[in-house]
Amino acid sequence: MDISTLGGQILGQIPLGDIVLYLTPFNLFMFAGALIFTALIAMSRTETQIEAEFGSLKDNEVKVGLEEFKIRRFLAIVCGLATAGAMITGDLFNFTLFVALIGIVNIGIVSAVKQIDVLNAAFQYGLIAMIASLPLFGGAALVLASTGTLSLLQLSTLASTTPMMYFASLLLLMGIAGETGVAPFYATKAEMFRTPGSPFILIIHLSSLLVIVRAIEILLIINKPF
Amino acid sequence: MIVPTVVPEFTVSIFIPALYVGLITGFIGLLGISFQKNDLSALILTDIVGVAMLVIVAAVGTDLAEALILPGLVVELAEIMAISEILMSREMRKTGNNASIFPLPFAMDMEIFSTAPNFLALILIAYGVFLTGFTGGAVAGGGILFYVIARRSRGLPIKVWEGIAGISGVAWCIWLAGFLIFFIAPELWLLGLFMSSCGILIKVASKMGLIGIMAREDLKRE
Repeated sequence: MDISTLGGQILGQIPLGDIVLYLTPFNLFMFAGALIFTALIAMSRTETQIEAEFGSLKDNEVKVGLEEFKIRRFLAIVCGLATAGAMITGDLFNFTLFVALIGIVNIGIVSAVKQIDVLNAAFQYGLIAMIASLPLFGGAALVLASTGTLSLLQLSTLASTTPMMYFASLLLLMGIAGETGVAPFYATKAEMFRTPGSPFILIIHLSSLLVIVRAIEILLIINKPF
Repeated sequence: MIVPTVVPEFTVSIFIPALYVGLITGFIGLLGISFQKNDLSALILTDIVGVAMLVIVAAVGTDLAEALILPGLVVELAEIMAISEILMSREMRKTGNNASIFPLPFAMDMEIFSTAPNFLALILIAYGVFLTGFTGGAVAGGGILFYVIARRSRGLPIKVWEGIAGISGVAWCIWLAGFLIFFIAPELWLLGLFMSSCGILIKVASKMGLIGIMAREDLKRE
């Protein structure tokens, strides 16, 4: 499908050797959104969870220490920047690398917590993310093998779609779903959000949502179903 | 036609079998994970799936695919390290014991460390500088590693150590700047090539030398 049909008018290109970024209102809007949210996160502080204790009238406060707060803020900023990069990139393999980076950083954000349930969920999510790197990178490699290019601008100009490209984009979809932990794999990730430290946890959600939207654009560019 | 005519027919025909090998290996790894109830075994089996990913990327076999293997490998390593760290901290929290990730010091008493001739290190370093690039850095670093571990000249001051780490960082920046030149000013490709190859040479060699110094300090510690 044509890039300008999907993302609006092409406002310009940034050629960096064989990696060419293209700017459309669609990309720029999501890029700016990810950057603004990252800036908000860099300025914010963590929440403190208050749990009612069972069998007494006291409250149980779950706080985040300063050391842990700093690590988590750093990883959340990296996650936000990786999301912004995945929004603006014009190269399929750069996109998969940004998605893989988001997967690693998501594990890192919750890795320092003390609750065993959360660590268990992070472990399961990490296993899924690692398994998902097979279809993710494999799909990108198959697109390269069947078309000879990874640039989205060139992929959009191809006349026809071969069965190998359909297979590759199916793998790519599976990989992105596993790496960001959306619908079929959400059960592995859901428990991770029970940890305190709200704004940093939110970037896990935001990154997976934005990446899915961008992935749909990329899959439509590759497959041209209409 | 995507594949150039200079590529032999046999090389092209091997792509589909290699793809099947990758997918089947990944499937076997997934079967193993589904049968496995032990978390540590599941983690190790997951690595098989990662290797199958490398097989699929390598099956493409162009120079671009070669450039994709390295990030794939790095992502794989980073993920397995992050997950094993999580597994360790969870187990530590369950049992209440603390353990470090590298259980040093370990005793390594080998005769070859005291009898090996010095000039082997010199040959390795000279050959590494001649090669340049990542391979040269690894070879030269191997020479430094050999010298540092085999020769028992102790007591490298901490300042020198930090200096070597600083050089390594600066060389890394030269490498990055060289790559940036490739992208923004392709007509200066020779400068970029030399900057990146010499930068990565110094970087890898000094890093491996540092590993050697650290390992020696740990070897001596009982």
